[in-house]
Amino acid sequence: MTGTGMATKIEVSPCGDSTLRVTVVGTDTDDVWKAVHRLAGWLNRGAVQPTVSAVPTYDAVLVEFDPYHTTAEAIASHIGVWETLPEQDEPVRSGVIDVPVLFGGAAGPDLGWVADVIGEPVARVIELVCAKEHLIRCLGGPAASAMTDGPDFPVPVPRLATPRLRVPPGAISVAGRQLVIGPVAAPSGWRQIGRTPLDILRTDAEAVVPYRPGDRVRFLPVDQAGYDGLLGTPMRHRHDD
Amino acid sequence: MTDRPELYAESATAGVVTDLGRTRGPSRGLAVNGALDQFAARAANALVGNAPTDPLIETTGFGLTLRPSHDVLMAVTGAPSEPAVDGRPHPAWTPLSVRAGETVRVGVSDAGLRAYVAVHGSFDVPRLMGSCAPDSMIGFGTSVTSGASLSLFRSHPPLVNRRFGATVFDFGIPRDIGRVPGVLDVIDGPDAVEFGSGLQRLFDSRYTVTPRINHVGLRVAGYVPRRPAPGEVLSRGVPVGAVEAPAGDELLVLMRGRGITAGYPVLAVLTSRAQDVAAQLRPGQEIRFRRTTAAAATAAYLERRRLLDRIALRARTAFAALS
Repeated sequence: MTGTGMATKIEVSPCGDSTLRVTVVGTDTDDVWKAVHRLAGWLNRGAVQPTVSAVPTYDAVLVEFDPYHTTAEAIASHIGVWETLPEQDEPVRSGVIDVPVLFGGAAGPDLGWVADVIGEPVARVIELVCAKEHLIRCLGGPAASAMTDGPDFPVPVPRLATPRLRVPPGAISVAGRQLVIGPVAAPSGWRQIGRTPLDILRTDAEAVVPYRPGDRVRFLPVDQAGYDGLLGTPMRHRHDD
Repeated sequence: MTDRPELYAESATAGVVTDLGRTRGPSRGLAVNGALDQFAARAANALVGNAPTDPLIETTGFGLTLRPSHDVLMAVTGAPSEPAVDGRPHPAWTPLSVRAGETVRVGVSDAGLRAYVAVHGSFDVPRLMGSCAPDSMIGFGTSVTSGASLSLFRSHPPLVNRRFGATVFDFGIPRDIGRVPGVLDVIDGPDAVEFGSGLQRLFDSRYTVTPRINHVGLRVAGYVPRRPAPGEVLSRGVPVGAVEAPAGDELLVLMRGRGITAGYPVLAVLTSRAQDVAAQLRPGQEIRFRRTTAAAATAAYLERRRLLDRIALRARTAFAALS
């Protein structure tokens, strides 16, 4: 068995003079995602050079380096060697976070639009969002947003042509076949379907958000009263006291 | 210590305390942020004998006036300016010995946008993941506004006889060090082929810097290459310096505060050197993009890093000899 399993292969593309895009290609999205995060973890532990840092997403790792300390060729060659290493079973953290969501209205201005696009009633959209635990695939921009696979909609959801200048903290949005929880107010081109009252981000702790890739999220619909009652509650794992 | 040295900001508008960036941030979903002109920031710290990653002041667009409570050693770099101590002009890009209570005026000329002020011993400021770099998205950072007082770790005895001024130092810094060229060198992005022949027009066209410039991005008006078949793209990590082609008539150049992922294709990527240049561009300035290779870009980058190494070495040697 190799670092990425038999069913995936790795492509390295230059991305400027101090960044590489490493794409894992394969048919099984879970295998691809696992290989991406294993590779990023290996790089972030300093396997090539301490200043190399890796940003894992769904199917790619952005590798940033300082050309003063190492080269793109050296990193590519190390990644080639990593592919041949035996897979190490790393303990995969997989906690569950319950996330109450107020759907529609001002909290989710695009909910009706999304319902139209996928050809289902609004209630069915909410049902699909809450039907499964969403695996957090990666932390993305802005501000350590939790990026997960989208709900099981029949079709991908197009982004807004012109991004909104500001969506509020706690926005739950969908685009393509992805879903994102945004911890802070930020511009966004995604379709906002709801909002959680939970407090997600804190800057007085090293881990600014409570989740990591591999954790799962369960969305629970709440009404306005439920939302108001929970406003400002810190987001935490299901078994945290 | 009861008599802690401080740097008082008599007047300041758009100043922050920053460093080379939150290098542990991107793997945890945060932008790297930090000094946009990395070379100027590194040089300022090197000139006062600090470590490259020590906190320093970045001021954008506006000058600032500072007054230390103790004798300190400072350096001003970045946008061309002539710092003045109690009204007397002194050169930038060189160590500047300032006595307790003297007023240091740092201007930002219209030949650049961002100036850097390093103080020997650096500032005692809050850090997140090891970095003090402001992150406007998450509301973290130390801003330098009129009336603010910044704690310093150390004072520094006067280094030079003021009759000689600071010019007794020679750090081998080129005279045109702060000059801002109107050309941004770029390397083809990983998605460049998606743009077909539109890519060539990127290099044949002229662009104007818009007023919409900040730590997150720089918008330039001009020809925007289009992809023949835009579709929904899976979010991926996007590099600092990425040139993106959103809807509309402006290109977006991502700066160090950019969200670390995006679902847009990357047309081209600014070289490390060009990212420093971009940090100094002012609204209304005309620029163009010039295609280069990673090998040429790295050679140019290494040349500048070696210059920084020489500055740091000479500064340490000079201070050791004088103390």
